[in-house]
Amino acid sequence: MNTYIKLYLLLVRTSIRSRMQYRFNFAFGTILAAFIQLSEFLMIAIVLAKFGAVRGWSVHEVGYLFAVMTLSKMLYRTFADEVHHLERYLVEGELDQLLTKPLPVLLSLMPRGFRLMPGELLQGGGILAWALGAMLAGGQVTWWAVPQTLFAVLTGAVVLFAIGLATATCGFWTTRISMLQNMTEDAAQTAARYPLTLYPGWMSGLLLTALPVGLVNYVPALYILRGELGAWVFPLLAAAACLAVLLALRFWKFGISKYQSTGS
Amino acid sequence: MTDSAAGQASHESSRRTETAIEAVALCKSFKTPVAAKGRFSGIRSMFSREYTVKEAVTDIGFTVEKGDFVGYIGPNGAGKSTTIKMLTGILHPSSGSVKLAGIDPHRDRTKCASKLGVVFGQRSQLWWDLPVKDSYDILAHMYGVEEKDKLRRLPQFDELLALGEFWDTPVRKLSLGQRMRADIAAAMLHDPDLLFLDEPTIGLDVNAKRNIRGFLKILNEEFGKTILLTTHDMDDIEQLCRRVMVIGGGQLTYDGTIEGPRREIGLPTEIKITYQGRYELPDEWNAEDAAQGPADLFVRVDEAGPAGAAGGEPPTLSSASGVIGRAELPRMRIVSRGERTLTVEVNRQEVRTMDALRELGRWGEIDDVEMREPDFEEIIRRVYG
Amino acid sequence: MISFRTRLFKSNPRLYSALAAKAYARNIQYRGSHLLHNFASAVFGYLYACIWIGLGRDHSLGEYGILGMMQYITFTQASLWISSFTTPGLGIPQSVRTGQIALDLMRPVHLFAHLAAKEWGQIGYQFLYKSIPVYVIMLLALGLTPAHHGTTLPIALVALAGSAYLSICIGYLIGVSALWTTESSWLHWGNQALMNLLAGFFIPLQWLPEWLQAIAWASPYPFMLYAPTQLYLRKEHPIVLLGTLAWCAALTLTCLLATRMLRHKVEVQGG
Repeated sequence: MNTYIKLYLLLVRTSIRSRMQYRFNFAFGTILAAFIQLSEFLMIAIVLAKFGAVRGWSVHEVGYLFAVMTLSKMLYRTFADEVHHLERYLVEGELDQLLTKPLPVLLSLMPRGFRLMPGELLQGGGILAWALGAMLAGGQVTWWAVPQTLFAVLTGAVVLFAIGLATATCGFWTTRISMLQNMTEDAAQTAARYPLTLYPGWMSGLLLTALPVGLVNYVPALYILRGELGAWVFPLLAAAACLAVLLALRFWKFGISKYQSTGS
Repeated sequence: MTDSAAGQASHESSRRTETAIEAVALCKSFKTPVAAKGRFSGIRSMFSREYTVKEAVTDIGFTVEKGDFVGYIGPNGAGKSTTIKMLTGILHPSSGSVKLAGIDPHRDRTKCASKLGVVFGQRSQLWWDLPVKDSYDILAHMYGVEEKDKLRRLPQFDELLALGEFWDTPVRKLSLGQRMRADIAAAMLHDPDLLFLDEPTIGLDVNAKRNIRGFLKILNEEFGKTILLTTHDMDDIEQLCRRVMVIGGGQLTYDGTIEGPRREIGLPTEIKITYQGRYELPDEWNAEDAAQGPADLFVRVDEAGPAGAAGGEPPTLSSASGVIGRAELPRMRIVSRGERTLTVEVNRQEVRTMDALRELGRWGEIDDVEMREPDFEEIIRRVYG
Repeated sequence: MISFRTRLFKSNPRLYSALAAKAYARNIQYRGSHLLHNFASAVFGYLYACIWIGLGRDHSLGEYGILGMMQYITFTQASLWISSFTTPGLGIPQSVRTGQIALDLMRPVHLFAHLAAKEWGQIGYQFLYKSIPVYVIMLLALGLTPAHHGTTLPIALVALAGSAYLSICIGYLIGVSALWTTESSWLHWGNQALMNLLAGFFIPLQWLPEWLQAIAWASPYPFMLYAPTQLYLRKEHPIVLLGTLAWCAALTLTCLLATRMLRHKVEVQGG
């Protein structure tokens, strides 16, 4: 285990060093990523500015939902961007190389795409600070909300990773996965930027169970911000995140045994 | 044709007993959905459960002893890469099993991988944007190679493969030949006993090929490494391999020594004689007679000789082709006749060279003899069928 | 190569229609999996519609109303396949990476005309096999009726054709930038983000803050989604098509200029 961690860190350092060969591109990409993030936030900010509360959720509460989702997604993509981009490995046959290494495939795959995402961190962190700050000042939450939120961001990242991994695994059968990711990752994450009560029952139910993006921000917010449910949400989140990731890992293992490779 | 000479291969290496690779009844089939045709085909094929099953590999089984050097050849799409990928644990076989030094590469992939070296000629395992030496540092950690072992091995590789000249160059800037040398060294860094190479010489120039072959030869002969390679370059096979396996249509069509196909196909050796003066062709060797003689006296030699058989000498007397020897005389076929030269083909399975030369010496004073063994590539083309 | 340049636009229209037909035919063999794609696209559209329906329960949605916003989202979601989801950089980044670009420039056809023709085929395919299915699925899912005023749909389609051309031009400019940066895919994503925000994909432009509206109307983006949608909803006079036309002309000129720079760069530095 210890050697795996050391190795992981080495591979992360390596991939950062590779990336730094293209400093200009890195800077350019970071700026554009921040810009894209900003435009996504503007979409929601404009709606809030125009209409105020959404289904009884204040501007700050919706901002909080957005920020927690952004931060969880940032964590997931920082560590596991390559899982999201598995299609490239499947199409170009690059996975073959990884399978000849004496490591679990995920361990050699994930560090390859390790990347720092300062744009997302600043934006998500900024909005979170703004939203929590206003709610602290208004006495809606106490300082306890800060560690609780960090915990939610962590379990949320694990949940998003599990969804991403399970989706990517489907690629072992279909090769192309971008369409599926469109639904299970992009659409689901977009949906969870608003309170789930906005949606018809079947949809919010789906987003809490089969595609549990609601666990990332909505369920924690119910307790942390609005005092609904109970403190038991935290063990629940931890358990759900563990369960999701274990299921996804089992599915992944099964998927690898069905890997068909490319070429003759 | 299968397996006739496999015994010979193991006989040759009777001093070794350990099994390096054991493949039993390997099969691999790929499913591809059938695209429906005609109206609304798009929608229909979405819901259709129909598949075509393509059998990439059917029932391939063999064992490779430790220290062997095996060539694995076959035309494109015959299932070479699929087999290699099953042997190295990348693909799971549909049925059958693989054992590498007693370990199942699918059940214990990581354990097995640390004992294997794998090189894919078409893609690199090095870190594209980093200097070559950095890749070795990373691989050493990945495979748990001790620092002192790494420092001992790298100079050896450098000596044999001249890695030093591009030590600090990023991999993306290497030439194909340099990259391949670097890749092979990378595969050997953790000193595996078993090395798989998938087309290691593809696209390389003559020098690079020679360099790589030399290295592989040393690995095999001096360090006792077991090597299995696929290639389309028959020189690789001829210069390196003791044993060759031919795959065609997903099945092994030949497995044995590399001399085996030569014997089996019976392609003739070409002998070109230059006489000091004119030579006399005895009557019984005249073409006209041969065609008229009693059938049982004559043995027809395969009509199709090597493609370049008459390359050296213009066939001045084309009527001579098809001449056949008598049963009591060495069987030879006269390919072409010149003023002072004569080219004949003999099948050395049937005729000893000395007997042929003795007969030819009776026809005139021999000045010079040239012999050309049948082209290996030609043989393989026959084996591929 | 000089002589090629003088023949710029004299190449026959049959070549361009053949290029477009090829691009169309290349896609049609994948239409099975593309139909599944439509499902994903419609799910997205349905999601956005749900957001507006939910908002509409507590708030008045101004001049649109819930029904109007459902129509709005349906039309923009279907139109995305025409004005937004074009080939990234019209395939130029890839051809720069493989060195194919030098060959493309040597052809006796202007690069822009060549790639635009191909993209027209692609867009034609996407219109038939993606926009229309997504439109129909969403109409059914939301229980809407299609536009039924005589000239509404034809005029909206003309506006969409204009937006298709604008997206070809923008895609071309993004593609050309690949010669100067290897991260042109970021520009592609940036363009998509602008489409979401400034083209009025999700939020009608008149609800944007003033400053953002000003920025939007100074760009071609409103003509790529918002204007066609307004025509479809009969909220705008067809005179806005003049704006589309003006942007088409301006971007065409920019593309021709960009091609000259590209050619210069390739000729001087060999790609």
